[in-house]
Amino acid sequence: MDKIVVKNLTYSYTANSKAVDDLSLQIEQGSFTSIIGHNGSGKSTLAKLIVGLLKANNGQIFVDDVLLDEISVNEIRKKIAIVFQNPDNQFIGSTVEDDIAFGLENRQIPSKDMPDIIKKYAEYVKMEDYLKKEPTFLSGGQKQRVAIAGALALKPEILILDEATAMIDAKGKREIFLTIKHMRKDNPDLTIISITHEVEEALLSDRVIVMDGGKAVYSGSPMEVFSNKEVREKYKLQAPFLISLKEELKENGFDVDDLNDIKEVTKFLCQ
Amino acid sequence: MSELSFGRYSPYNTVVHRIDPRSKIFYMILLFVAIFLQLTTWSTNLIISGLILLFLIVVMMISRISFRSLAKSFVSMWFLFIFLLVIYVLIPNQTYVHKAFNLGSLEIYYDAFYQWGYIMLRLVMILCTTMILTSTTKPMDLTNGLEWGMGFLKPLHFPAHEIAMTISIALRFIPTILDETNRIMKAQSSRGVDFTHGIIKRVRAIVSLIIPLFVSAIERSEELANAMEARGYDPKAKRTHFHVMRFSLADLFSLIIILAIFGGVLTLFIIDKNVQTVDIIKFLFNVEAGF
Repeated sequence: MDKIVVKNLTYSYTANSKAVDDLSLQIEQGSFTSIIGHNGSGKSTLAKLIVGLLKANNGQIFVDDVLLDEISVNEIRKKIAIVFQNPDNQFIGSTVEDDIAFGLENRQIPSKDMPDIIKKYAEYVKMEDYLKKEPTFLSGGQKQRVAIAGALALKPEILILDEATAMIDAKGKREIFLTIKHMRKDNPDLTIISITHEVEEALLSDRVIVMDGGKAVYSGSPMEVFSNKEVREKYKLQAPFLISLKEELKENGFDVDDLNDIKEVTKFLCQ
Repeated sequence: MSELSFGRYSPYNTVVHRIDPRSKIFYMILLFVAIFLQLTTWSTNLIISGLILLFLIVVMMISRISFRSLAKSFVSMWFLFIFLLVIYVLIPNQTYVHKAFNLGSLEIYYDAFYQWGYIMLRLVMILCTTMILTSTTKPMDLTNGLEWGMGFLKPLHFPAHEIAMTISIALRFIPTILDETNRIMKAQSSRGVDFTHGIIKRVRAIVSLIIPLFVSAIERSEELANAMEARGYDPKAKRTHFHVMRFSLADLFSLIIILAIFGGVLTLFIIDKNVQTVDIIKFLFNVEAGF
């Protein structure tokens, strides 16, 4: 079932350049889709259009077959949670618990239910020891995990990560990847859209959509996309470690086509 | 951050911390009024102020506020003190009667020193009162309390909630923006901007700090607005509150104490203005203090 359907979407910030240009795509329920592309390819704009923060010039967006417009936007937003790039600029509360509570307050969750919900999701992202901490005392990765907890506490059907790992260090990124894996296992119905530069993160997904100049130019499984040298060179995508390793092995005459993850390759190399 | 340490929230769990923020805001207003009621006799004014100050010191001790940060903020205000002293002493006032000495052709009165001292005393008391409020109340609770306090204006379309939300976001972003300021200063210093020497150079350097700071603050606010909207924030919609405010026994006791102080001072003030001059020294010891 298609959770999100985008039809002929066009959006421009200025009169003579289109950030999103006649874009059509479908995103299946329960899938994990990565949208990749270099800066200015329109991927963040697409995310803002889907949550209705920007209004499209042309085209339609359907979420659960409901057309996104001024009236339905509030209902649709209840289904979608979004985590943005800058960990500081989306930390609204003065402490971790206040920040997770912010979304709950907007949803008018009764005050007496909030502490349990906050605790549950703080534990989920392993931030339960930091509930009373102020953002100044947290690392970027921790703040981003709080943002994810705040998003998940709203029980979304769709989670959009808008370059959520772009501004944090390697350790923080790894923690976020683990959280994503954990979320998928726990809630198979959750549709995740990750807008990213991070090829290793894209490898975790079911489907990769490559965007360029506001259009979706290529789509396929991560292996398909990243193994395709032509696509990689054309859209300046870096190859994930696994794929470059496999390619080098192949050049040296090894048959590694059947190996699909890093463990299998390791096993092969150790033989 | 050290300049901002005055009145920062200190997370203890004392009786004062447990008083409802709404009560504390109300008490602060009452105390301010009590501090500013001025009677006719000097000695009485000083005695009343002294007693209120004593009360504030006791409350500060109970709520475990460090006197050092108070003293520090006082020392940093030395210029204001000297300035006020000069103003009070040098500017002649018709009501001054107790002459001290002549400074050249200028007549110096004891009254001027008294006036100065009294102003200083009130300043200390106001600082103490504000400090007690802000160091024992979480900023979030404070803004919630303010929102509640302004609630009666809501039917008049007064944006009480919006103001409270703005204040709490401003408080939340103070450390973030300070970090940013430090970062920009370092970045500009590395490009040769001099933040330390000469007033004119410094003013020029400030421009190179302010502009990037404003640009980034505006970008931040845009992203923040997006994040808030995406999380379903609507200033006009009803919201529930994570922090529930409850009046407790601590509120009742503190209310009695504050009302006693406020009532006492107000009664003395009314008697002083309408019935007869109140002179505590004369009343207690039956001696003329002479001032």
